[in-house]
Amino acid sequence: MKQLFLAIILIAFAACKPERMAIPSEPMKDINGNWQIIKATRNGTDLTTRFKFTQFRIHFTDSTYTIDSLVPFIVSKSGRWAFDDPHYPFSLSFTATDSATKSSPLLYPVVGGQRNIIITFSPGCTSNAYQYTLQKVN
Amino acid sequence: MKTIYFSNILRWLKAHPSYYWKAPGIILLLVIASCSITIDSVVQPGSVNGGDILPVTLNVTIQTNQGQTSKFMVAVLVPKIWKASQNTTITFTSDITSGDQPMTVIPAGTPAPNGNGLDWPTYLVNKIGNGGNLLNDYEWVAFYSNAAYAIGGNVTVHATVSIKIKTSPDNLLFKLGYCVAESTDGLSDPQYYNSNFPGCFAVNGTGDLIDFCNPQLAVIDPRTSQDNDIITITFDGGVTMTLLNNAPQVYLCAKGYLTNGDSVSVCAQTTDTEMRNLGLNRWQKDLWPRGYFHLSDDQHLARLSYFFTDASGTVMVGYGGGSDPFTYTFKCQ
Repeated sequence: MKQLFLAIILIAFAACKPERMAIPSEPMKDINGNWQIIKATRNGTDLTTRFKFTQFRIHFTDSTYTIDSLVPFIVSKSGRWAFDDPHYPFSLSFTATDSATKSSPLLYPVVGGQRNIIITFSPGCTSNAYQYTLQKVN
Repeated sequence: MKTIYFSNILRWLKAHPSYYWKAPGIILLLVIASCSITIDSVVQPGSVNGGDILPVTLNVTIQTNQGQTSKFMVAVLVPKIWKASQNTTITFTSDITSGDQPMTVIPAGTPAPNGNGLDWPTYLVNKIGNGGNLLNDYEWVAFYSNAAYAIGGNVTVHATVSIKIKTSPDNLLFKLGYCVAESTDGLSDPQYYNSNFPGCFAVNGTGDLIDFCNPQLAVIDPRTSQDNDIITITFDGGVTMTLLNNAPQVYLCAKGYLTNGDSVSVCAQTTDTEMRNLGLNRWQKDLWPRGYFHLSDDQHLARLSYFFTDASGTVMVGYGGGSDPFTYTFKCQ
């Protein structure tokens, strides 16, 4: 009887093994593709329908970008881009060809099921702040 | 200054039960009648030369009903170009203090009391306004006294505030504004603050006149920009009768002067130069100068001159409605 009890305990212990919990990781943010300006403000004034932003496109690949139909933007030439943190980005930097790196604070909200990129920058005087909301072109 | 000793009121009401129904009114009356702060007079010159110190004196009276310990707040409405937070000193003397009392700029982002989280400059714009300045390039700069002062109840205090602002070299007209308050009640009720706008003030400086006081036939926003900004040109034909009064379309005729001495014109009457009708003889155009004048990478604009024209291009309206062009210089503050 004593041996049977011991055997049951051993079997019970042997049945236990630590379960490894998979820690969910935040995916890297993917902005590859063509983006357009859906909203633009200058010093808080909405310019979206007042200025011709409709032709502007920025095409992001893994580390480079190209610009079509330039409007006042953080950079005026194509080049390389990077997040400050690919998992939790708070800043988006652009390094145009033959130019210094320029960074913008980044917001990355999902609005109406669509991922938006919101960047803030000053293409001219630093006292003039522009905020563009970009959305991927379908 | 709105601290009320409710225990005294309750004790009195117990002795006079017939007044219970009037209690809310009595309390409200006591709160409303508890304090006032007024700017009795503003002593300010009508003009100074560009770069000079602008001396201003405010004579202020504070009347209390109940005791309170607060900091004194003085704010000035000034053109941003003065960078007044770095170029202003404010001190005051009063009946209850000895010698000049220093004041310091309230750091940006510091919430104003009872301001729903707004900082002083934003709260002042929302509550007091812009004094009628027509160009959106002004700011309120607020100062607190370095010390807090205990003032007893039923006291009248006279204070003399000395403000010294170093002006910029720019040629401008501006409606200066002043506001006084204290750090406990803020701008929560008109009795706790007072403001004063003495009228249009001139700085006889250099460069194009920056006129905040008078409606302009043409205005460019932002007031300071470079050729890589988007600028908004507004033609307000309602300011005065011009040759374009009631014109069905208005066009922009502009010449850009480059930093290398060359110039480039865009003056044809096309959809690219047509202005947006805002109604009431007001017209507007948003443009990006680098794109508008098709500049190459090594070309940069120093300034603009421009007219407004009718569809034929033969009727042109310039500065003051005349035949000289409006001008705009690209520069940052």
